[in-house]
Amino acid sequence: MAYFIALVLAVGFGLPIAILSAAMAQAKAASTALEGIARQPEAAGRIQTAMILSLAFIESLVLFALVVLLLLLPRLPDTALVLKKIAGG
Amino acid sequence: MEKESPWVLLAMSGLVILGLSVFGFAATRRLERIPRTRFQSFVELLVSSLNNLAVDTIGPGAEKYTPFIGTVFVYILAANLLGLIPALKSPTSNLSLIAPVALIVLVTYTYYGIRKVGVLRYMKHLAGEPIWLAPLMLPVHLISELARPLSLSIRLFGNIFGEDTILLVLAGITYVVIPYVVAIPTQFPVIPLALLTAFVQALVFTILTTVYISLAVSQEGGH
Repeated sequence: MAYFIALVLAVGFGLPIAILSAAMAQAKAASTALEGIARQPEAAGRIQTAMILSLAFIESLVLFALVVLLLLLPRLPDTALVLKKIAGG
Repeated sequence: MEKESPWVLLAMSGLVILGLSVFGFAATRRLERIPRTRFQSFVELLVSSLNNLAVDTIGPGAEKYTPFIGTVFVYILAANLLGLIPALKSPTSNLSLIAPVALIVLVTYTYYGIRKVGVLRYMKHLAGEPIWLAPLMLPVHLISELARPLSLSIRLFGNIFGEDTILLVLAGITYVVIPYVVAIPTQFPVIPLALLTAFVQALVFTILTTVYISLAVSQEGGH
């Protein structure tokens, strides 16, 4: 039973923690890029390209967590079975 | 919901290959030194940008790597964009069609490195700077070499599969909420985002391929 509790917690909290960290990292990347553009508007094109690239790299780490979620999702127990077990046992 | 045939993805990939072959054939007919048609200008823009990417990242003699890098970019871009056409599915939304491309990238940049500096010096590069640390650094480097195609393929798969799933969920949302017979295409506002994702992911894959080739090929100037 503790195994299933741990599994559900992992499935539920794994991806949101990844998304939270990625949001903070992307916020820092975007804010630095915007400061650079504000300081030198003529370099805006190059800075924008580098910013999009950095955002794509940070986002891909979230997608690793998404793939782990997709691998774990079939391993969750059947809900009807668990409810019957809780009610009966 | 019946299971989709496994040949659908292969047919989609075949469609991409067919389309790219026709595009490549049409792009090399009636070439003129100063391009007068928009099509030739567009193709020249594409080829020169890819060449600049290779030369800026790898160094002066990088023109011989441009065909491989260009093929990777154009194939992945076309495969990503195919999913946005109604009734078609991107071949890159399944890991089975991305992993071979990533493995080909691994084999190719290793081959380029070995062809440039020889097998022994390439293995020495994998062993690291102080030669007595080799029993520690060699497995670490080998594992990181194996992690490269893994991260390349999972990044591309996650992005394109995620976009396809978002489009699917948004397209079906009116049917779930209001089960009418007429379908409302509620996924249209998200299609520009899917276009951006397709371009950016193809670009990221290509830039990483170029960086890996440059790491494998530039051995002389130090680690």
